[in-house]
Amino acid sequence: MPNRLLTGMLALLAALLLPGLASAHAILEESAPPSGASVKAGGLDLRFRYNSRIDRARSRLTLIRADHSRDIVAIEPDGPPGILAAHLNLMPGAYVVRWQVLAVDGHITRGDVPFTVTAH
Amino acid sequence: MELLVDLFGYLSIVIHGLTILSQSVTLGGVLFLVLLARPLNLPDVAAGTARIAGYGAIGLLVSQVAGVALQTAVLTDTVGLDVWNVLTADFAIAGAVKSVMAALLAERLLFRRSEAPAIALLALTAITLAAATLTTHAAARLDDRGWLLFVEGLHQLGAALWIGGIPCFLLALSRIRDGRQWRAVSARFSRMSMVGVACILVSGLAMSMLYIGDWQGVYGTAFGVMVSAKVTMFLMLLGLGGMNFLMVERQRASPDASADRLRRFAEVEFGIGIAIFFAAASLTSVPPAVDLTQDRVSWAEIVDRNTPERPRLSSPDHDALALPALQAKLDEQAAKQKSAPQVAFTPGAGELPPRNADDIAWSEYNHHWAGVVVCIVGLLALLNRAGLRWARHWPLAFLGLAVFLFFRADPEVWPMGEVGFFDSLRDVEVLQHKSFVVLIVLFAFFEWRVRATGWANKTARLVFPLLCAIGGTLLLTHSHAIANVKDQLLIELTHTPLALAGIVAGWARWLEIRLNPRASPVAWQIAGWVWPACILIAGLLLLSYREA
Repeated sequence: MPNRLLTGMLALLAALLLPGLASAHAILEESAPPSGASVKAGGLDLRFRYNSRIDRARSRLTLIRADHSRDIVAIEPDGPPGILAAHLNLMPGAYVVRWQVLAVDGHITRGDVPFTVTAH
Repeated sequence: MELLVDLFGYLSIVIHGLTILSQSVTLGGVLFLVLLARPLNLPDVAAGTARIAGYGAIGLLVSQVAGVALQTAVLTDTVGLDVWNVLTADFAIAGAVKSVMAALLAERLLFRRSEAPAIALLALTAITLAAATLTTHAAARLDDRGWLLFVEGLHQLGAALWIGGIPCFLLALSRIRDGRQWRAVSARFSRMSMVGVACILVSGLAMSMLYIGDWQGVYGTAFGVMVSAKVTMFLMLLGLGGMNFLMVERQRASPDASADRLRRFAEVEFGIGIAIFFAAASLTSVPPAVDLTQDRVSWAEIVDRNTPERPRLSSPDHDALALPALQAKLDEQAAKQKSAPQVAFTPGAGELPPRNADDIAWSEYNHHWAGVVVCIVGLLALLNRAGLRWARHWPLAFLGLAVFLFFRADPEVWPMGEVGFFDSLRDVEVLQHKSFVVLIVLFAFFEWRVRATGWANKTARLVFPLLCAIGGTLLLTHSHAIANVKDQLLIELTHTPLALAGIVAGWARWLEIRLNPRASPVAWQIAGWVWPACILIAGLLLLSYREA
């Protein structure tokens, strides 16, 4: 019984042996627009540069508006291995682009880039 | 599912740790079989080794399939991909190859035992190792990819040769009675271990240069700090391995006397090796230091943060904390607008909770009172060791600490806060805190029963050292959900020595229990004093903890 109990406890604790979430494997090194930036209304080229090779077919960009409505952003299928690019047409307002990427080694990470679109 | 992404990311690292462990035991077992048990003509050891490696391969198969399944579940749900699409991703193909190799190895090792042809086993081992490198940092690097894949493979081979071979070595030591054979096995495993150490050293240095880059990357980034913890544990292993090597050389004439110490040291080597595997798994969730060019911590900031100050022993008001204050504001707004109030924080939504100066004071207060309790525990354990009988009740102090942590560690969560208990478990930090509480209650109960009631059950006596070592490893992977990367790292810098103190305390107590005091009196004495001293050091570290 004690052996079984010990094994059970170890299995439970092993299942709890977990790392943190705040650090991420693939990090966003640079974004256009930068986080917190203001850009003019109209056509906007999104360009996110990561430190890792990204599987872009299995990654996702989501545009979140101030009223919490959201749209999936179509990612351009070609380009350098560490870059996600897309094109948007935006009206003035506050936006967040939520990115979720799959690095080719199998790690999934996500983050937000908030920015504002102004009329002028 | 959206709310579980962080939790699944967190679970995938645990599974990765188990994958590294089972992979090392499998590959180490195959190499032990082919390079040691068979050439030395030890059929009994060969059969046992094949069994260990075979069960390791089953573990590898299960953990690998679980890891790919978890990632597939997240990707199909959050990106809207179909299962087949995900299964054709690079990581899934590498995982499938590893799974097939593990299944073939298990079949050969468990059903054909020691008769399985060496060339087939080595070929399967090589393919497994190659596939394993494709799920490391190296596979996703933009530069130096080929070199990094090679050194990652070398690193994993070294770990398998040395740490992965230890279970088979322990089996051999328990089965062999003949002094000459015992000497031959120990000498050959020493040589295999030295090759393993050389592989780890060369590849570790190469990876440090390519992933860390400079000295500031060592102390100024989470990646560098975790690598430093790995190096510290590696040096502990080298110390134990070195003592075993000297023992083998010196005590040729009396193998029985040294076999006990050799076995106990090897057990501890394997235990610390497991902590290294989990540290390695958690490294995969952190970006390499060379990529973190901003938000690094300077040496002056580390010195400033760690300069001792008076402990904070009075707590700020719960209502003054950022989340309760924000929730009260949202409730007030909703009441004015006669609408349902917004929730200030949703665990697992991927957003970090707000923090203010009172949150920092709250956390420091928690750490400092925990430090007071742990210091008392360490002192009582030392006094008990010195012969003071009533001090044997020291584990009870840990129960008080568990209650304190349950209520205070996460003020936004039930019973103090508004977030429900089960909802809160989607938050990785809360889950870690709750698991610490379970851990503390379990080992305090078992150790108190062992000490106070003279519980002679051998397994029960090992609960405290094992859970203490596991707790240290758990702390090594603990992180705080704080938006400021620098503050987060400064906190991790204080938690890493705390984790190492827990790991050393656990394994020192293990040695004290497992060593024969008559055969190894000096080692037994040292182990008996080291673990309470480590608990005292952990208490002092907690007392000096600061978040600002």
